[in-house]
Amino acid sequence: MAAVMAVESGQSRLRPFSCELGLLSRPDGRATFLQGVTPSVLAGLYGPVEAKISKELPDRAALEVLLRPKVGLPGVLERSREQLLRQTCEAVVLGALHPRTAITLVLQVLSDASLLSCCLNAACMALLDAGLPLAALFCGVTCALQPDGSVLLDPTARQEQEARAILTFAIGSSERKVLMATTKGSCSVEEMQQCLAAAQGAADTIFQFYRDSVRRRYCKS
Amino acid sequence: MRRRAARRPRPWWGSGAARDLLLLPAQYDEDAEGDGCGSARAERRRGAAVRAGAAALRAGLLVTKCGLLRHRPAGGGAFWVDSQQKRYVPVKGDHVIGIVTAKAGDVFRLDVGGSEPASLSYLAFEGATKRNRPNVQVGDLIYGQFLVANKDMEPEMVCIDSSGKSSGMGIIGQDGFLFKVSLGLIRKLLAPKCEIIQELSQLYPFELVLGMNGRIWVKAKTVQQTLIIVNILEACEYMSAEQRKQALAKLSGNR
Amino acid sequence: MKATPLSNCERRFLLRAIQEKKRLDGRQCYDYRNIRVSFGAERGCCIVELGRTRVLAQVSCELVSPKPNRPTEGVLFFNLELSPMAAPGLEPGRQSELLVSLNRLLERCLRDSKCIDTESLCVVAGEKVWQIRLDVHLLNHDGNITDAASIAGIVALCHFRRPDVSVQGEEVTVYTPEERDPVPLSIHHMPICVSFAFFHQGTYLLVDPTEREERVMDGFLVIAMNKHHEICTIQSSGVVMLVPDQILRCSKIAAVKVTEITEQIQKALENDQKARKEGGKFGFAESIPFQRITAFKMESAAVDTNDVEEQAKEIIAKADPPAEVFSKPVLLAAGTAQIGEGVENSWGDLEESEKEEAAEEEGESEAAAFECQKVETEDTMRETKNGKYCFSWYHILLYPFL
Repeated sequence: MAAVMAVESGQSRLRPFSCELGLLSRPDGRATFLQGVTPSVLAGLYGPVEAKISKELPDRAALEVLLRPKVGLPGVLERSREQLLRQTCEAVVLGALHPRTAITLVLQVLSDASLLSCCLNAACMALLDAGLPLAALFCGVTCALQPDGSVLLDPTARQEQEARAILTFAIGSSERKVLMATTKGSCSVEEMQQCLAAAQGAADTIFQFYRDSVRRRYCKS
Repeated sequence: MRRRAARRPRPWWGSGAARDLLLLPAQYDEDAEGDGCGSARAERRRGAAVRAGAAALRAGLLVTKCGLLRHRPAGGGAFWVDSQQKRYVPVKGDHVIGIVTAKAGDVFRLDVGGSEPASLSYLAFEGATKRNRPNVQVGDLIYGQFLVANKDMEPEMVCIDSSGKSSGMGIIGQDGFLFKVSLGLIRKLLAPKCEIIQELSQLYPFELVLGMNGRIWVKAKTVQQTLIIVNILEACEYMSAEQRKQALAKLSGNR
Repeated sequence: MKATPLSNCERRFLLRAIQEKKRLDGRQCYDYRNIRVSFGAERGCCIVELGRTRVLAQVSCELVSPKPNRPTEGVLFFNLELSPMAAPGLEPGRQSELLVSLNRLLERCLRDSKCIDTESLCVVAGEKVWQIRLDVHLLNHDGNITDAASIAGIVALCHFRRPDVSVQGEEVTVYTPEERDPVPLSIHHMPICVSFAFFHQGTYLLVDPTEREERVMDGFLVIAMNKHHEICTIQSSGVVMLVPDQILRCSKIAAVKVTEITEQIQKALENDQKARKEGGKFGFAESIPFQRITAFKMESAAVDTNDVEEQAKEIIAKADPPAEVFSKPVLLAAGTAQIGEGVENSWGDLEESEKEEAAEEEGESEAAAFECQKVETEDTMRETKNGKYCFSWYHILLYPFL
């Protein structure tokens, strides 16, 4: 089962991705993240701003995430993704520095297939762009377990459909800890650990990408 | 050119040599030091202060914002992370421009661009007494400094300094134009001997008030001149020095 | 979130500048800002930038039964949304007035002007027609949402292709894009809205107001026109009273602007069509200007997954063994089962008749769930401090054991 995976070339490829920071004039932090050709997400962040009395928390900032699909009204899938994103962001944002404020993160899906990992990456870049105090960065990586047991990183829509299980991880930048994991489909413990290890390897590439894109922005000044 | 930003706060963005070291959150400062800031390490041991952008943890320093590492050697040395940001967080002692949104009894409520409106007592103006109230309407602009600004309390502003003099603070005049830029540009403009302001002052005479919350108030003789200055200052964020010199040369040639 | 209030000084300055016929960004009174149209990889998706105002539009279609009073016409559905990221004052659920008026305007402009041929959307009269749905999202608010939304709407409709359909007697076949090329919608004309803002009781007039100019304006006039100079919609609002003379002048200005904008749109559509036909790259990824310092692109990257197996084995060997495996599910009735036993009820004695199924597991074993046969789960796990996984919430679908 696990032996097949190491055969091909021992390498998995991440699709080309690109990002653009600061393209909207109104939000405090804004970023677009495009993965491959299709999935792309635009993130806009306001914070820390005044919170409604009913929603304010006395000791930290109240983080709210809104995910808007391209067609139709937000449904159950969007709500569950919003919860996952909110929990990941709350783990890294130092909300204790801004009590009784609100931080609102709005994500707009720009293309048909939206991978959760794309939303995670866009959210992290928007947090970086807004200058909120963060304890760590995070990135999202999706792995697909193919029917023959091999691990595929960053699957396309078709590969996702053929896969036996899809696992998405949010990996933090300090010691590559796992901040959030969600799976669809069934897999064994070993397979999950392999996917996790592969995802942690991919996370390094993505963090280097963050660093390069931010450096490009700051190099002018 | 008359500059109304008379009193600059303690210059903690001073003239330290800019090391182009980009830091991202969750990087321990031990790493940054290893990249060749030998003298920095020595100063750290002497107890140099670490300011905005890093939090002190038991294990060392944790970088919390992304930006360039800056260092000021004078006065014990200080390190901070210079980041580009749009949203302002009130800090005690900062001079800001606020917009009056409401008058509630003895107190004015001002919008300073942060997460909460700041309060300003009517007695906090030079020469104000209970009988002699300042003439402040809703929608006026006020230049003041923060007396109280921490994360747990509502920020409070005053328009007099500790000796009771206004020293340039107070209600800003009726004409002129207010606009917003990023906080990084304000810090650049407030640095001593800022090139941009010197070059602009050779163009036309104008009055300028810079608020640390990103707001700038400009007044020149005519509307056209004011608009030109506004556009140049807004574009300064993304223009390099040569592009700016070219644009100014074109403008002064047109005059 | 509250929007920043407008100070008196800004208001006075803007009005004075308008009196001297000067605008903040240096435009003339009748000038439009730069319009930029970019298309997505899917058909019917586009982003329109009018200066700094950004709008995203997407067209989609599906087969539905027609309205009873119009059995041979397709159905058009328009939805404009002001995304909370567009401006600090827009919160979900609190923008009703502005939203309703914009939606109505967009509908009148596109539906009531009959720019789309709804008869051609009929598949089987009285039973199946196409429903074309247009979703417009405002991404950044810098004034003049109406114009940007109308341009985005009509461009997306022109760009869209619906699946081809053939009807043979009683049989209807819908072809996928791979089988037969999708066909475009039949559009008669392209109505575009042009907005005018009035100041000083109608004395001064500006075309394409920015967000600040909109805050100080007295009155607002929108004229929707197509390039044949036919007026599709007119709407006026605000506290200014307009004389017919002014409206005629505005319509002449609108005619000129609409011609320019229509040309631009046609060119953009042609360019995209060419790019798709020649197999070049298209989509949002290509429309990002990578020369700007705010954009960055990384090519496809290889990730070394060679030693993943060994790493995984190490981790599993080091990890604590899972807690005792729970017993197999106990079947209580057809379709309901119970895993493990619930904890002692700490509230005290409840009546015997209240027997609750303990469907929530409080163990720490991931192995248990995976070893459960024929279990489909969608899990959310959080790493606790000591490194073990524990479930907080999940759904279980159990098949009754036969």
